[in-house]
Amino acid sequence: MHGRRRQQEREPTQDELQQAKQRVDRYRALNSHVMDLKATSVFTNDALDATKRLLEQNTELHTVWNYRRTIFTSLDEWQCQDTRQQMLDGELNFLLGIITKNIKSYWMWNHRMWALSSLPRPEWQRELGLVAKLLALDARNYHGWDYRRFVVAQLKDAATDKHEVDTQEFAFTTEQINHDCANHSAWHNRSKLLPEILAQRDEDGQLEVLQTENDLILNAIYTDPDDQNAWLYYDWLLDIQKSDEDRCRLLRNKIAAIRELLELEEDSKRPLVELVSAYAELERLQSGSVSEPEKKECLETLRRLESIDPYRVGRYTDMSRTLSKQWALGA
Amino acid sequence: MTMFGTNQLLVDKHVEFIQNLDKKQDGLEYWMTEHLRVSGIYWGLVALFLLDRPQALDHEQIIAYVRGCQNADGGFGGHTHHDSHLLYTMSSVQILSMLNALDQIDGKKVTKYVLSLQQTNKQTNGQTTVCGDVWGEHDTRFAFIAMAVLSFFNTQDQLDTNGIVEYIRGAMNYDGGFGSKPGGESHAAQVYTCVAALAVAGRLDVVDRDRLSGWLAERQLLCGGMNGRPQKLEDVCYAWWVGSALDILRRRHWISAEKLVEFVVSAQDEKGGIADRPGDVADVYHTCFGIAGLSLVRYPGLNEVDPVYCMPRSVVRRLGLHKWQDNVPKSWSQ
Repeated sequence: MHGRRRQQEREPTQDELQQAKQRVDRYRALNSHVMDLKATSVFTNDALDATKRLLEQNTELHTVWNYRRTIFTSLDEWQCQDTRQQMLDGELNFLLGIITKNIKSYWMWNHRMWALSSLPRPEWQRELGLVAKLLALDARNYHGWDYRRFVVAQLKDAATDKHEVDTQEFAFTTEQINHDCANHSAWHNRSKLLPEILAQRDEDGQLEVLQTENDLILNAIYTDPDDQNAWLYYDWLLDIQKSDEDRCRLLRNKIAAIRELLELEEDSKRPLVELVSAYAELERLQSGSVSEPEKKECLETLRRLESIDPYRVGRYTDMSRTLSKQWALGA
Repeated sequence: MTMFGTNQLLVDKHVEFIQNLDKKQDGLEYWMTEHLRVSGIYWGLVALFLLDRPQALDHEQIIAYVRGCQNADGGFGGHTHHDSHLLYTMSSVQILSMLNALDQIDGKKVTKYVLSLQQTNKQTNGQTTVCGDVWGEHDTRFAFIAMAVLSFFNTQDQLDTNGIVEYIRGAMNYDGGFGSKPGGESHAAQVYTCVAALAVAGRLDVVDRDRLSGWLAERQLLCGGMNGRPQKLEDVCYAWWVGSALDILRRRHWISAEKLVEFVVSAQDEKGGIADRPGDVADVYHTCFGIAGLSLVRYPGLNEVDPVYCMPRSVVRRLGLHKWQDNVPKSWSQ
């Protein structure tokens, strides 16, 4: 359904038609067979095998995944911890073997979570390693990240030192970001962990963490001023500051950084948008802190943005109108 | 390269494409997508209704088929004899309402099924999750579906709306967007489901309107198409996911409608159907959301689509479901 190129069509040969029909017939036969077994509540190893053969061909058959789970739990072997462990270890291997068929399949990930949750002796650390490998192949796969958060939650649950789990996860995101500071998924995960990290520290420790964070995000901004996510993260850091004073200080830092970037490239869209929103926020926090020339510069910048970034002209005209009203300036 | 210099939507070709979907039984793909047949019908029907060709498919046949997908638990599967799931329950209810046949099913049974998936006894942080089926996956999509489905039967007050709203709030991220669950990364499709859910619940106050509108507006790329999150490829379906959310936020004008139309139209297959992007194979899903996206930006000749329910506004009005609009914050005037 996604990303398949159209190809020049020619009439298929008799042979090709025959092969296609056979493929369809085989698939339909297997599908009917499995659905018949399900309808008659057959919970045997043969049925298990049939579901496996079908799911290998089509990972999206959630009804068949449901049936497979029901067969597992109905078998005698399920009742004994050791054989259950064996069955599910095998299941995890099976899933690993087919994960690359469709790395974005909700049903496969759900089934894996079920298998892990049903294991007498789940190896959560090994899962963590596995998902790290997967994310190395596709750093933005949100199924992978969701699954990682699920595994980490289990580890945290079982851990004596829950803070340590958070610290290690936080370090994982640092590693990902140092490897590629444009990895939004890593920044996102980081944003969920940072409050936990901060909660572990005293006031001085918190300031230290926030300063490090500030440096990290500024680095990302300088590396790619067009990366919208870096600026959003910066704004969020403002949100979690302890005082308006700290916020204003950071806003002034932000403006200084933008000025530097604009010296290198004066029509750089994102820094220009951020300049206006920084001044707007500054004035909102501390009325009178933004000068008249700076306010005029903001409106002029918005006018320039209408040409630099014409698709979003509606946004810039809205911002102009709002600021003009708020600052009681002529339009 | 493009044959669509006049931005022509090939209405007749798309109608034919949708009518022919059920005839492609020689292909493996037809059988491999059987598990979501009900949703496929919903996508085709929405496209036809918006193209103003509602009679192009046999209504009685569809109604009979959809009713056959309802299981003993009151939910609907994606095909006959397939297990119930909220995704297919939603599509089924949407189909029946468009075909004016909602009264042919027992709303109480459907309500009971949906309520059974609400996890009120597992609240953390005051959040109430809704599972997609009995196997326990929870997702903001299911929170939306629960509220939307029950609104069809006017039974939504039986839900723990406050708890569900807290779950959705928990799924909000620093960029103003929403993820699949608390902790999940922002993604345009999840943004739609969360914003639509909040609209149905009358709780759009939860949204950080400016931050989210800005994030959504940035989904539009130079080619005119939208992506689902930063750094990802453009895809026709985001014309809907992004467009509908912007519409609810009353910020449709923050993107270029003209460029979006150009993109969607260029993703048409001249033989019928719309693809995810120009040159790719067309499918009914992208045909539906491409046309819905065009309807949102008032492409001429299309019926208006409701941005919350992804159904014709006329149907939504007939069912009395348009009242979500009354709860849009007054300060948000378009």
